[in-house]
Amino acid sequence: MKRIFLFSLLFAIMVSWVFSGGQHSDVENGKLDLSKKVELQFWMLGNAPGDLKLIEEEVNKLALEDLNCTVKFNYTTWTDWSQKYKLLLTSGQQIDLIFTSEWTDYQRYARSGAFLELENIVPIAAPELNTFIPENYWNAVKVAGHIYTMPNTWKEYVYDGFEYREDLRKKYKLPEINSIETIEMYLEAIAENEPSMMPLGEGGTGPKGFLMVYPITAELLHPWSDRSMDNYGLVSDNANPRVMYQYWGSEEHLNDLKRWKKWADNGYWSRSILSSTEDPVAAFQAGKLGAKISGINPVKYSQDVIVMGKNHPDWEVGYYPFSYATRIVHPVHPTHNGFAVPVSSKYPGRAVALFEKLVMDKKYNRLTNYGIEGVHYTNDNGYYKMLGNAETSGFKRESMNSWAWRNPEYMLFDPSFDLVKSIFTEFDKFSTPDLYNGFAEDYTPYQSQKTALEQVIAEYLAPLQAGLVEDVEAGLNKFMVEAKAAGMEEIQSEYLNQWYAYCDEMNIQ
Amino acid sequence: MQKKIKKPVSELIIQIVAIIVCGIAALLCLLPFLLVISGSLTDNDYILQYGYNILPGKFSLEAYQFIFEIPGPVLQAYGVTLLNTTVGTSIGLFIIAMTGYVLQRPDCKYRNRISFFIYFTTLFQGGLIAWYIMITRYYQLQDNRLVLILPLLMNPFLIILMKNFIKTSVPHDIIEAAIIDGANDFTIFTQIVLKLATPGLATIGLFLALAYWNDWFHSSLFISTPSKYSLQFFLYNTLNNTQAMRELSQTGASVSMEVPTESVRLAMAVICTGPIVLLYPFVQRYFVKGLTIGAVKG
Amino acid sequence: MRNKTNELKKHGLLYLMAIPACLFFILNSYLPMFGIYLAFTKYNFRGGIFGSPFIGFENFKYLLESGTLFRITRNTFLYNLVFILLGNSLQIVTAILLSKIANRFVKRTTQSLMFLPYFVSYVILGVFVYNLLNYEKGLVNSLLIQWGMERFDAFNTPLFWIFGLIAAYIWKWLGYGTVIYLAAISGIPEEYYEAANIDGANAFQQIRYITLPSLKPTFITLLLLSIGRILRGQFDLFFNIIGNNGVLFSTTDVIDTFVYRSVAKTFDIGLGSAAGLYQSLFGFALIMIVNGIIKHINEDYALF
Repeated sequence: MKRIFLFSLLFAIMVSWVFSGGQHSDVENGKLDLSKKVELQFWMLGNAPGDLKLIEEEVNKLALEDLNCTVKFNYTTWTDWSQKYKLLLTSGQQIDLIFTSEWTDYQRYARSGAFLELENIVPIAAPELNTFIPENYWNAVKVAGHIYTMPNTWKEYVYDGFEYREDLRKKYKLPEINSIETIEMYLEAIAENEPSMMPLGEGGTGPKGFLMVYPITAELLHPWSDRSMDNYGLVSDNANPRVMYQYWGSEEHLNDLKRWKKWADNGYWSRSILSSTEDPVAAFQAGKLGAKISGINPVKYSQDVIVMGKNHPDWEVGYYPFSYATRIVHPVHPTHNGFAVPVSSKYPGRAVALFEKLVMDKKYNRLTNYGIEGVHYTNDNGYYKMLGNAETSGFKRESMNSWAWRNPEYMLFDPSFDLVKSIFTEFDKFSTPDLYNGFAEDYTPYQSQKTALEQVIAEYLAPLQAGLVEDVEAGLNKFMVEAKAAGMEEIQSEYLNQWYAYCDEMNIQ
Repeated sequence: MQKKIKKPVSELIIQIVAIIVCGIAALLCLLPFLLVISGSLTDNDYILQYGYNILPGKFSLEAYQFIFEIPGPVLQAYGVTLLNTTVGTSIGLFIIAMTGYVLQRPDCKYRNRISFFIYFTTLFQGGLIAWYIMITRYYQLQDNRLVLILPLLMNPFLIILMKNFIKTSVPHDIIEAAIIDGANDFTIFTQIVLKLATPGLATIGLFLALAYWNDWFHSSLFISTPSKYSLQFFLYNTLNNTQAMRELSQTGASVSMEVPTESVRLAMAVICTGPIVLLYPFVQRYFVKGLTIGAVKG
Repeated sequence: MRNKTNELKKHGLLYLMAIPACLFFILNSYLPMFGIYLAFTKYNFRGGIFGSPFIGFENFKYLLESGTLFRITRNTFLYNLVFILLGNSLQIVTAILLSKIANRFVKRTTQSLMFLPYFVSYVILGVFVYNLLNYEKGLVNSLLIQWGMERFDAFNTPLFWIFGLIAAYIWKWLGYGTVIYLAAISGIPEEYYEAANIDGANAFQQIRYITLPSLKPTFITLLLLSIGRILRGQFDLFFNIIGNNGVLFSTTDVIDTFVYRSVAKTFDIGLGSAAGLYQSLFGFALIMIVNGIIKHINEDYALF
């Protein structure tokens, strides 16, 4: 009895302890209050550059004069960063700005109340930024009607394609890669003639199933579809986004799976691929893989060109973006690189004002993106040129991980980036805005069904996609039965409701 | 060594069986580690192409060169870990032994309750979030060197194991005799228990030292100043960083460094193992021969 | 009441000596226990821990409705049971044999070597296992082909991993566990063996009647210590070797990997806490029963 009493006493103490203090804002009565000198806490992803202190000092000199504040840049490091990100926001410690992206779950955190609404703060604290960023960008980052992050304005394309060895294609006199057929011919030739190579490779499988086949099914085989084909088997029509088709269990799905089975049987990827620990990037660069599909985009392609050009000058890297065939491409969604103000922020106005400086003021912008001119880099006829070498430099290009405050007007590029730019220019010709990535479902109504369904996907769909199931048709039927038992249909109907609501909100017809 | 001219047959059989079985077990444990050492000395591209070998297929020091490219931070991390390990192990071992001693005293009436109080924490935990909040907001230990020492000081497993060791190696009649002689409990602990329970102390000390030596988690969660990183985290994070930079599609520059990740991973294991492998034979002394009761009584 | 004050007066210093440890556990373990409450809430950042809506047992529903609760509980329980029993037995055997080796150099070297696996992280182990067993290029399969045999498709053979994972665990912890038993053997007074020698007992009899009984308390303690955590642990082992390979889940999915997968996707704080509480309660019930039984048989061996 006494023990229980003691425990409840302890617990009561805890409860009273943990409650945090109330909110206060430095944006009141339509004005930004600069009277008090404050220190802002910025949290960035990844590792800090070696010379962070130098840069921080320089920024603080400017900020103290402009905004009567100093700033501390904190870094999560890349080790366990998503865990740390969650802890930072949950623990309630003071954070004034934190990096957001769809891959850091911006929408989900916003939805569960982690960030402050910005629509009332930005016009007052950062009027210049407010007009600099186009209206439709501000709209695109809205979650449940509110703006929680500052969108990025640099237009880039993170789009899938097929990366392969052009020298081998020429060696075996294969036609140019421009379709699924030519890709298959290439893979076939590698499988037959290059015994030390694996035609395709991937490091393990994601929780969504076998990732490698997603880009190719979604983008090349069914160009009419939305690029992410994994929303509970629902696929939306690019021409008509409101319409969603049931892909799982359909004739197309069956045909696709049969194709993967054929690929697997032909040895295009390993039978052990679902447990693979291999790093496909490294394997490709070392000449062990014939091609890569998943996670390939123009920037990564250009990196492979540089690395392989240096180590194996006789090798040639080829790249075929699926969008060339489909003529469909979207630039990254404005949520891709952003900064949000967590609810624990003490000085939201000042933080937003400083962010404005980072984007809009050339001095701040160049300093935090490229370092100190003459020390870390020089501006070589409009090109970025690093001083010193990559191993020892204290501040490499964008090594503050400052992606979110890139300003197209001030950006400096390495000459090697011209390759990427040329692809981007090609994309620009037919690109359309991304309607999908601003949508984030609220899965609370079907949380447990979702968990159950994911288990079913990992267990029944992933092996089918990897071509490991003998009888594809029976396998697909089995998967559908299990998926329905797990609650696929309830999930889909709720998901669709949310999708329609989003379309209404965003005026998507 | 016993002075016996003739050993019984059974002793001989045991000897042979022991050497064969332990030899095989040791070999099975050694082989994968040889793969680690050899891999760390192999050219990275060679590993990617041909896999791992007992002998380096294509000798290369690139992994070690990469790690020690700028030696300052590595050596600093070594220093941090060394300090944490020595300080943490000494303090932790002392408290663990002291608690273990209390818990095994049969005349201590509430010993089972204290045992339960300690053991209970292995069953129920508040979870990472709650613990993180306590450490950062209430104990204010963020980015403090103490956070690398304090949380690892002791755990129920080691305390209860220690209690067990003391119980077997310090007969209760010795303690009782000391009490009658008028020694207080603390003196008994420092004068008798700490001297008699050497095999147990060596074991627990070793385990504690290993826990400190291998710790990366606390650095990862709480330390934001690179000069305070522990060795394991420093190396681990360097590897993660280079991998992440490559994964990120958005670096947008050609300055991407080439990192021999496969061999670096193995070189890290070697670097972290080295010192403790050298320490272990030293600790072994205490297992071979514990002090016998006779020695104390006599 | 009087009993209590007497006890405190008599052993005051003794209790004082236990205070540092108790204080440590209060600060490091008991105070953060408020986090258990998260298992009953639907967490949101505005409300924080105690301001988020209370939803009772809603979070536990996902465990039940996932349809795999029985399977993951069974897998976790059985794996841990084998780890505990087989692991300890082999460690005992190894420790006894090691203690019997007369040549000091051989003894120390073998003992040191057995400690090496402890330093090979599961990440590296996972890489090695994949290199060893993968279907096309794995070492094992290359050898099988050379000998004119069929390839072995390990990563699509769920039953194989029962042995594979157990072997990996045993290998990794053999040296570590052996140290504990070696220390216990060193604690056995030499006189016992001398007396046995005089009585003419052979080496096997000495092991049977002196060494093994002396190791019993250590064994039981280790057993009890692990039983409370029987539904936890070894996440790294399973995750790094199996990964997200659904083909193998029937024999390799344990609670920690399952929760990791569900929470990684949904990052729901309540779900993770609910699963943790389930593991705790299961372990708590089990340890109370087993400790009770042991206490009944011999009070000295009980944990508390």
